[in-house]
Amino acid sequence: MTTAISKRKPKDLTHVSLKTEALFHVILGGFCLACVIPFIFVIIISFTAEESIRTIGFSFTPTIWSLESYRYVFSWGDQLWRSYLNSFIITVGGTILSVLICVLYSYTLFRRDFKLRKFFIFFSFFTMMFGGGLAPTYMVSKNILGLNNNYWAMIVPMLVNPFLFIVMRTFFQTTIPDALIESASIDGAGEYRTLFQIIVPISKPGIATIALLTALAYWNEWFIPMLYVSNANLIPLQYLLMKMQNQIDFLAKNSAMIGADAVNILAQTPRENLRMALVVFIVLPIACAYPFFQRYIVSGLTIGSVKG
Amino acid sequence: MKRALSLILSLTLILALFTGVNFASAADDFSQEVTVQIMLHGSNVTDPAPVIEKINEYLKEKLNMKLDVIWGTWADFDQNSVLMLAGGDPCDIYFTCSWSANEYASYARNGSFLRLDDPENDLIAAYAPDLFKSIPAILGEGALVDGASGEGIYAIPGYKDFAQLYTWDINTPLLTELGYTLEDIKSYADFGPLLAAAKALKGDSFYPLYVEQGVMQRFVLNLDIVDSSLLLGLQFDTENPSQTEPIIKSVYEMPEYKAFVEKTYEYSQAGYINPVHAVAEASNSERSNAQLNGAYLIGTQVYAPGYEAQASAERGFEVSFVPLHTQYTSITSLRGAMMAVSAYSKHPERAVAFLNLLNTDPYLMTLMAYGVEGVHYTINADGLLEFTDKHNDYMPWRNGIGNITLLPPQAAEGADIWDKYAAQAEAQVLPTGTWSFDQTPVANEMAALANVAAEYTGGLTAGTVDPAVVLPEFIEKLKANGIDKVVEEANRQLQEYLANQAD
Repeated sequence: MTTAISKRKPKDLTHVSLKTEALFHVILGGFCLACVIPFIFVIIISFTAEESIRTIGFSFTPTIWSLESYRYVFSWGDQLWRSYLNSFIITVGGTILSVLICVLYSYTLFRRDFKLRKFFIFFSFFTMMFGGGLAPTYMVSKNILGLNNNYWAMIVPMLVNPFLFIVMRTFFQTTIPDALIESASIDGAGEYRTLFQIIVPISKPGIATIALLTALAYWNEWFIPMLYVSNANLIPLQYLLMKMQNQIDFLAKNSAMIGADAVNILAQTPRENLRMALVVFIVLPIACAYPFFQRYIVSGLTIGSVKG
Repeated sequence: MKRALSLILSLTLILALFTGVNFASAADDFSQEVTVQIMLHGSNVTDPAPVIEKINEYLKEKLNMKLDVIWGTWADFDQNSVLMLAGGDPCDIYFTCSWSANEYASYARNGSFLRLDDPENDLIAAYAPDLFKSIPAILGEGALVDGASGEGIYAIPGYKDFAQLYTWDINTPLLTELGYTLEDIKSYADFGPLLAAAKALKGDSFYPLYVEQGVMQRFVLNLDIVDSSLLLGLQFDTENPSQTEPIIKSVYEMPEYKAFVEKTYEYSQAGYINPVHAVAEASNSERSNAQLNGAYLIGTQVYAPGYEAQASAERGFEVSFVPLHTQYTSITSLRGAMMAVSAYSKHPERAVAFLNLLNTDPYLMTLMAYGVEGVHYTINADGLLEFTDKHNDYMPWRNGIGNITLLPPQAAEGADIWDKYAAQAEAQVLPTGTWSFDQTPVANEMAALANVAAEYTGGLTAGTVDPAVVLPEFIEKLKANGIDKVVEEANRQLQEYLANQAD
């Protein structure tokens, strides 16, 4: 037994046979392709001329390339940029507030010396299991909380996410030793100083993860804006796209009933290449933001305060 | 003595209660300014501020009120209106009709909409005495429904195209080029030679016939709509719709449907129909492409008066519409666009007064539908309306607002457009009158059947699947999911209605 271990060189620990390695590369490579190809297809369609779509349908090799959909998107001007701006406001504002709440809440749940800990764990966990249902939630949000046609309507409903509380609490539990908090208090740090100057800096990987998840959720949300926002000046980009899609679905379902008016609705519905151009606009910022978060996650993983 | 006293006391209490109720429903003398909220359908509005300002200026003076508009769109109206009604939102007025999610008859039945001609509190008599005199009488009849507070009017019908007329949409220059005339457009089964000639002239990638799902079968089988999933149909008399035999049939089991899908399969195999029409979501944009580019010979169009001029202007070539039958009015077309007052409205009196003004006052209606003169549109020397660039900021769904015949005609429509609309009043009425199918007793069956139909009809309508194989399978599934029960229920309701009418 002992001889077997001593014989193995350190690099053997990660060594696999060439065949297996090749196989893994093929599988993972295929998986990556499956993720990337649809998006490449979207980009190609967005650069395809309408004539090409009409004659040969969607294709990786369109007969005619064109910038017309982008030209059209830019000619929209106001609506696009306003929706873009709205998306940014909602995502940035929402993420900051939501992460702050998440850290505060989950840190409290993490501290064993907090008396009401059990109650608040149950309190947040309960909402994960049982929701109020759509109609009551809608009425409370809209008529009691006044979440109607403003930015808060798109930020507040997603501020508190009990799932992320649990993730964050577990992160604290596994990375922060009680000794650290103890030593902070011995050094005379108050609760806020302990949290923001000692705990938060070493919790960057956890915070970056929940920030990324929250930001993605805010950026991609369209259902909540649909419910609470009817002012065209406030709608975010994702809902702008969803609106077009809903309109097409609506038409597919109801054109038989509407009669002559269906033609007018069709005239207001953008073509496929334009919708794909919008998808590109939606994905681009997130694709750009991802490496930024990734850097934090990776660097955070390698930093620690208590070296073992 | 004691008993007499208690009797007197309880009587006073009851009396007090009644007077209290009476006070609550006391007539609105417009002395207090209120805000009325209205939810529209189909809006495409990005900058309503200048219009709302003008509207409120005018309404302040006329009715001492403000208007707050929720610009519902095609994308969000169904979801939001249902939620708002379910949750008792204080919104006062809702768009409703025979095809939206807050369907008129069912929401009148479940008490969501206020009865407007309630004998106890007749809002129409008090606040909208002239409204129904200004629109064709048939529209008022169409609004009658047996709702939560008895049979009456639960919504104000909008005056738009309400007579039903199915027409073939013909690419006239191409037809002429092929050496045919409009006389040659007869029945679906006879299109073969025309389509073959068009295909031969224009080549392989040209599809001369475009089909509209759920529409083409109604055209070929002369069906009036009974339910929104088009499972049931009333086969009307093409010459004299009023002489139609009032029997509801299961559309997909009719022998005519079999003949229709067999013919369609034949046309599709010959390359006359683009296979993309089998997919509902893609079919609509393909149809629009075909129309705008003149890449078709024959298509379908549910007609609206004066539509030739508008379509020709939009597509840039002469479009003709060949009618398939004598026009008629049915309940679906009469309830195409309406405005209902919510049971949760705090100001139903002002809401009705506003609807009255909207449907009788050309200034207010034009403001709502087209925006501000000089900003969103101009009136040219002939008295016709032309849109400015600003029009793009303010495009509500005109036909979903109110009486469109109050509006100045658009240049593309022509000066005599509203005479054509008025002529609709002469259309014959189907014997089914104002009957509408109450689906609640068979709601489960309807939901299951709608799914079955969605699975099969696309391929059959576009002729991409062989009806010899698929149709028997389709019918079997319909039977298994209770189509017979649904047909029976529909006919039972209809017979009951007809018996009541005869009394």
